[in-house]
Amino acid sequence: MASQVLPQALHMIPRNQVQPFNPVKNRGFSAFLSRGPSPLATSKVSVSGFHSKFPVGSSFSCFARRGFVVRAESNPEGEGEAEAERNENGVEEPETKAEAEVEGEGEGEGEDEAEEEKPKEPRKPRIKLGDIMGILNKRAIEASDKERPTPDLRTGDIVEIKLEVPENRRRLSVYKGIVISKQNAGIHTTIRIRRIIAGVGVEIVFPVYSPNIKEIKVVKHRKVRRARLYYLRDKLPRLSTFK
Amino acid sequence: MRTVLKVVDNSGAKKVMCIQALKGKKGARLGDTIIASVKEAMPNGKVKKGKVVYGVVVRAAMQRGRCDGSEVKFDDNAVVLVDKQGQPIGTRVFGPVPHELRQKKHVKILTLAEHIA
Repeated sequence: MASQVLPQALHMIPRNQVQPFNPVKNRGFSAFLSRGPSPLATSKVSVSGFHSKFPVGSSFSCFARRGFVVRAESNPEGEGEAEAERNENGVEEPETKAEAEVEGEGEGEGEDEAEEEKPKEPRKPRIKLGDIMGILNKRAIEASDKERPTPDLRTGDIVEIKLEVPENRRRLSVYKGIVISKQNAGIHTTIRIRRIIAGVGVEIVFPVYSPNIKEIKVVKHRKVRRARLYYLRDKLPRLSTFK
Repeated sequence: MRTVLKVVDNSGAKKVMCIQALKGKKGARLGDTIIASVKEAMPNGKVKKGKVVYGVVVRAAMQRGRCDGSEVKFDDNAVVLVDKQGQPIGTRVFGPVPHELRQKKHVKILTLAEHIA
C-alpha cells in the first residue's frame, strides 16, 4: 500500500528541500510508526532500489522502525540531505542532516541489504553495563593524579594535608593527624584524620582526590592491627596528639 | 531541646541546656544559634544560673558536611554565649572552632578563637 504511494511521493518532493522538513516529518512519522511491520516488508525491495537515486523524503523516514540504529555514513553520491531521524527512541532529534544516509530498513534482516554499498565494520568489543562505573572512576582518578600525585595511604599513617579553603584564600590550611579509616569508593575515596587540637578531639573526613587538597604527605607510620581505629576515641588524648 | 552543652567562653556559665533551636525544624547544628537556659554557672560571672541566654554552637559531635565533600566532627558539644545581636558576651573563646562560622557571620567569635579547625 505504501509502496505504491512511494514513487509518486518521491517524485513530488523537490530536491533541495531540507530544513522546514522536520516538524512536518515528525507528525507523519508517528502516524506511520503506529502501523504494523507490513508496509516495511512489502516496500523493502523497492526502497533499496530507490534510495540511491532520490533524496530522502519524509515518507522515507516513516518506514524506519523504532529500534533503528543511526549509521552516519556518507553516501558517495552525496544525497544526504538525509535527516538521520531514526533513533533508538523513535521520533525525537533530527540530527546529522548532512551526509547521513538513510537506509530505510529496520534492524534484523534489513541490515544486510542496507550495507550492500559498504563493507562491514569489524565488531568493537562491547563494554558491559556493570563495568562502566569502574571505567569512569579509573579515568577520573587518572585525571586527578596527573595534576597532583596521591601517595599510598593506609590506616595508621600520620599524615599532613595542605588544603586550600575558598574562604581562607591567602594561606593554605594545614591538617595533621592519624588516619583512622579509609573508605574506598573510586573517585570519592575518603580518609578520616583524627587529632587533638587545643584539648578537643577533632575528626575530619577528606576526599583524597579533591582538587582543593594541594598536598598530602605521610610523615610517620604507627603500627596498628586494625583497619579502623575508632578505639582511639575512648583512649587517652595523648594517643591522638601529634605535634 | 534538652541537650546540655558546654560553655567555652569566660562569660561565667559552665553548662547550659538548649530549650529552643532558632532556624531548623530538626534541631540546631554546627554554627546555628540556640536559646538556652543556664544550668550551672561560676559564682562570679556575667550570667547567673537560671538565666535564659542565646548561644552559638561552635562544636558538635554530629558531623557537618562542607561543600567540598569533607566533613568535620568534634568530640564534644560546645556553645558560646551571645546576646540578641550575635555579639559574644565573654571576651575569650577556648578550644577550636570551625570555619563554618565565617559564613554565618560570627566573625567576632572567630577572631577570639584559639584555633580555627
